[in-house]
Amino acid sequence: MARTTRRQLTNLLGALGVVATLAALAFGLPAVDRALPNDRAVSAMDPYLVGAAVTVIPPPGATLDVSETRPGDDQGTVLFHLGSVRYAIAVRPFAGDLENAATRLRQRITSTSGYQVTGGQLAVNTAAGLAGIQGGYTAPGRGGRYAVFVTGGLTIEVTISGGELDLGRALPLIDRSTRTLRHDGRQQ
Amino acid sequence: MTPTAVRPAADGIRASGLLEVPAFWVVTALLAVGAGRMAQVAGRFVEAYPKATVTAVVLFALLAVPFWVVVSELDFLEREPTELLVVAFAWGAVVATSVSIPASAALEDLIAKLWSPHLAADWGAALAGPAVEEIAKTLGVVAIVLIARAQVNSVLDGVVYGAMVGLGFQIVENIVFAVGNVALAGQGDHLQPVIETFLLRGFLSGVWSHTLFSALAGAGIGYLVLHRDRTAGHRIGVAALAVLGAWASHMLWNSPLLSDGLGNGPLALLGVLLLKGLPPLLLILWLVRHVHDREADFYVGQLATLRDPELITAGELAVLGSGARRAAARRHAGAQAGRRARIAVRRLQRAQARLAVELSRGRDGTTGHRADEIRRQRDLMVLLGHADGVAGPRSWQHTAWTVLSTVVAIAVLWVALSALGGA
Repeated sequence: MARTTRRQLTNLLGALGVVATLAALAFGLPAVDRALPNDRAVSAMDPYLVGAAVTVIPPPGATLDVSETRPGDDQGTVLFHLGSVRYAIAVRPFAGDLENAATRLRQRITSTSGYQVTGGQLAVNTAAGLAGIQGGYTAPGRGGRYAVFVTGGLTIEVTISGGELDLGRALPLIDRSTRTLRHDGRQQ
Repeated sequence: MTPTAVRPAADGIRASGLLEVPAFWVVTALLAVGAGRMAQVAGRFVEAYPKATVTAVVLFALLAVPFWVVVSELDFLEREPTELLVVAFAWGAVVATSVSIPASAALEDLIAKLWSPHLAADWGAALAGPAVEEIAKTLGVVAIVLIARAQVNSVLDGVVYGAMVGLGFQIVENIVFAVGNVALAGQGDHLQPVIETFLLRGFLSGVWSHTLFSALAGAGIGYLVLHRDRTAGHRIGVAALAVLGAWASHMLWNSPLLSDGLGNGPLALLGVLLLKGLPPLLLILWLVRHVHDREADFYVGQLATLRDPELITAGELAVLGSGARRAAARRHAGAQAGRRARIAVRRLQRAQARLAVELSRGRDGTTGHRADEIRRQRDLMVLLGHADGVAGPRSWQHTAWTVLSTVVAIAVLWVALSALGGA
């Protein structure tokens, strides 16, 4: 059997150093991320900036998931948790009308395997006068609601999901929160 | 003492030699794992958006071709083995990307958790992406060094391998972004988001992207390997500075600075692209030019020692070190003696470059098949009435072609800027 030379050993150590660095990036960083909690307390009294000058008053008892919250200048996302229920709002630049926005959101929901839109759609309005459309969907073991608004060159998409029991309890609080959506900015 | 510009390799790479290098097996395993992970991503894309995915792959693969040609031609005199260029490209395409996707997301989350979601929204892409991606890509050049250290024998070699890693990363990242935008658009398997991504990320930002950043980092690794006459601290410092430069260029490009500072319209968009992209582009182009010229001087110097006008004339010595002058010599041959003379000059230049590498390895330059090839091409050139492969005066046709190409490029750029909402 051929002997391992010192040069080969050094080469192997170098290669293992490369592997270790890659592993630290690919597995170490996500592990540190998972080790830190996502949720932060959030006031149910003050408007929370979703992004692009769109604000919402969070439901009482909700926590903010900072890992999926990115309030930007021209778009943004926010995710609240109410127990096991996820309450997400996404604001993006959009050039179409409300119907187009609703179709787009429904297509995105149903593009996930096992997700289906259920029932019809209803009109919904916020206290600030934003007109929108809302509907429901189901996913394996979960139920969901969605709502979409179009204002000032933006689409505001609201998706709510959770176990049916928790969802039933949380929906009245979330509906009240959704009605506080407001866009204070100019045309994007 | 003048620092070494080139440390000649003993020989080209041999497959049997590679098998005895432990790093070769480790890198092969990493490439296999990376390819598996990216194949899973591609599988999901194809399942959900087949037309958009195939279009994105075709468009960005086509975009890779001119980049590949330019990068591989950078080191005309001492070409890098194609096998190693493929490994570098594959590292960027499957290893660096598959590591960067989860790591960048995690780092951005950590910024949101440790500071604020606002900071993550504004600066997450500028802080997390470059930090993770520049490390993952630079490790690709380190991997090449570990596999075939002798092949990284000038700073320019580091530039070439770094650029290839960056190119692989850039192409795959752009495909991922294009299909991601299709999903975000929520209009099913539509091509418009792919075309928009191609115009923005491939066409407008393609020049100052990963290929450029990684070329800078690669130059640092090239310096680290080459300049063994310097202290370890100095070499590591220079390499770290180069990687830091790549990171800073990438961060500036991703940063929200000037995101709405110059108003609307194509000119404003062009202004932002130039302000953020041009400084690193000029810096890196200057560096590439500098290391290219140093390497060219070294190899041309090898040929000058021959003092044999049959192998290389004084005029050809003045031409060989510069890509522009080599091209001018080929055009001149074509104009003077036709297409066959142009091809003969191209083959002569290639053979002279190979002979220069042979000479740098301490071999006899006056005999052997490299010298025979040069003499063959020289005989043909004499027969065609164009014995000397020198550059001629600039022709009006070439000037007109250059002006026309520039005008077309500006027009295409303007259309792209307007189409992307600049108007």
